[in-house]
Amino acid sequence: MNKDWLSQNTFHHTQFRDLHQLVEAKIDKGVTVSLCLPTLNEEKTIAKEIIIMKSELMIRFPLIDEIVVIDSGSTDQTREIAESYGADVYGAGEILPQLKNFTGKGENLWKALYITHGDILVYLDADIKNIHHRFAYALLGPLLKTDTIKYTKAFYDRPLTLDQEKVRPTGGGRVTELVIRPLFSLFFPELTQILQPLSGEYAGFREIFENIPFPIGYGVETSMILDIYEKWGLDVIAQVDLDQRVHHNQDTKALGRMAFVILKTFFNRIEKLGCIELKNAVHKEMLQYRQILDQYQSEIYRVEGHERPPIITLAQYREKFKKPLYADRQI
Amino acid sequence: MTNNNFQATKPVHMEPILKNLPVFVEQLSAIRETIIANILLIGQIPAPTFEEASRAEIFLERLSEAQTDICATDDYNNPIGIIKGRSGGKSPPIFVVSHLDTTVSGDVDHNYIIRKNSIMGPGILDNSASVGILASLPFICQALDLSFESDIVLAGVTQSIGRGNLQGIRHLLKNWEGPIRGAVIMESEKLGRLNYYSEGIIRGEIDCQIPTTGNWTNRYKPNAILILNEVINEILAMSLPQRPQSRAIIGKIEGGFKHGEIAYDAHLGFELQSDSDAMVQKMYHEIKDIVDGISHEHNVALTLNIISTLNAATLKYRHPLVKSAVSIMKRLDVTPVSASSESELSIFLANKIPALTVGLTHGKDIHLGHASMKIEPLFTGIAQVMGIIMAIDQGVCDE
Repeated sequence: MNKDWLSQNTFHHTQFRDLHQLVEAKIDKGVTVSLCLPTLNEEKTIAKEIIIMKSELMIRFPLIDEIVVIDSGSTDQTREIAESYGADVYGAGEILPQLKNFTGKGENLWKALYITHGDILVYLDADIKNIHHRFAYALLGPLLKTDTIKYTKAFYDRPLTLDQEKVRPTGGGRVTELVIRPLFSLFFPELTQILQPLSGEYAGFREIFENIPFPIGYGVETSMILDIYEKWGLDVIAQVDLDQRVHHNQDTKALGRMAFVILKTFFNRIEKLGCIELKNAVHKEMLQYRQILDQYQSEIYRVEGHERPPIITLAQYREKFKKPLYADRQI
Repeated sequence: MTNNNFQATKPVHMEPILKNLPVFVEQLSAIRETIIANILLIGQIPAPTFEEASRAEIFLERLSEAQTDICATDDYNNPIGIIKGRSGGKSPPIFVVSHLDTTVSGDVDHNYIIRKNSIMGPGILDNSASVGILASLPFICQALDLSFESDIVLAGVTQSIGRGNLQGIRHLLKNWEGPIRGAVIMESEKLGRLNYYSEGIIRGEIDCQIPTTGNWTNRYKPNAILILNEVINEILAMSLPQRPQSRAIIGKIEGGFKHGEIAYDAHLGFELQSDSDAMVQKMYHEIKDIVDGISHEHNVALTLNIISTLNAATLKYRHPLVKSAVSIMKRLDVTPVSASSESELSIFLANKIPALTVGLTHGKDIHLGHASMKIEPLFTGIAQVMGIIMAIDQGVCDE
């Protein structure tokens, strides 16, 4: 196990606050950057994210070349507001319409690969209340200022003492600590060094994202880490401390459903990797119960577990980006 | 500091300034993301009076990132940026001022929500939008390709509201060396306000405390709320003249513990306002007599404290700064509405520095958590401020 990874590949956003330097690094590397915001009814926060990123990282410092919103079918004003502040807005179903349509965050992220143009993609959740441009530039920092790191992931608050001088945040929410970290500890101890594997903010080179599959729903973050780790190892990954992220907390039942999807994705991956052998297929339905008067009523949450293949396997994608098939080792 | 006597003599041709204003509005609209970003990044940092340090820090950070020539705090923690003028210090500086503090507690979630044409959140109208604009001025000057003879001093002043008693601006002006050419004070709302005079004010509090003994006799003690009720009745019975215009405003009251208990303490906040400082003093002494009398009659502890005072000061409507501001507002299709303002304006005028307070946009629910402001009128509001700065720079305040 590479125990140095935590100290060597963990950064703090303040290390990248000199935006002039980052712009120079971007020019030196000759790359372009796309920011993708997946949305579903985010009218309260979407404008803030677009405005801050456009003002600070497009107008003042040319770090980001395009802002793209991929929407899962919002019924509020999300799309109109995003368009009014100049983002390129697409419904997920409008992209590659010949394919069967799915709804979920992973679907939006995968389709963003087709619609965006950047060599680097930054994915940010669209529900961040305390959005600051560090959420994007700090994730770009290690990608632009090193030659080895190809994928960066955010982590936030919850302090943990690393050594006598360093105090760093660790831990995620309840799902991370109760589900992901125990599973990583059992099967991939090295990955426990990733402090918040479920954080919704990450960035990476296109060559990384186009060569991995994307589960449609909640499992996308977990599978992304496992696939990148399996294909290229831990050293291409870095994590960046963004200090604080404020967003809506979910109730325990919603977290239970999230955990269900993540567990399903995880079992799928480790079975493929030969870590375990499942004698029977796992079920697709999560059962939860609620009490109404003196009766218990079941609530069924069904997860099909659809997954998009690596987009590089799609002929239209290769044609658009002039790429050969299976370029996955050329990162 | 200056000793201007408000006798402006230098003629200023307004037409070159006025003709650019509608274009400014369009140009400002084109850079709205940067302006709104500053409002967000600063306004989402809580800044109750006396706790403005974090907001001051981000304000200075934003000025610094915009490559403002000088960024510093004075020894009262007022953050200040200076855009250097062409005259190299020969022309006195022009001040642009917004108060940093808000009436909103630091415990309140300062989460702003932006829609197509509005921003909603606590403190946005008093005075966070204005502070965001102040931090944007270096960028705005670049975007409008404006430079000035005078240095432009961008002052985000602390300790303005309530018990703050305008201490930030008082300190800044007291310690500023050299004359000041003129000042524009920006308030988030309302576009159209044009304040060029301030009334004399005494802001005070009356506290009533009933000593408790912890035994059965407590239930026969006087009720602090009813005592203050008597004070209020006597204040309302005071006869106030129509000239000079004078008012006694009962603005705040609190007291008691629960519905079925006699109140052992109660507090009353009031403000005395008049065109005449002497009249304010006269009203105050009358209230002091009322308080002493009721305290004696009921044998209770009634205390009267002054928390702030301001002297009456005014520019005349015919002052060239006021006339210029009126013509600028009219060119922008804004109808000027005059009223007194008891803000930083008072301190500038008391120091014989020509100054105005203007509003930047429209909004509603100013002091509620869901206060909201319109985005579109903001660009007219900023164009108006730039026009006034240009007018001052061309000499409307010069003797």
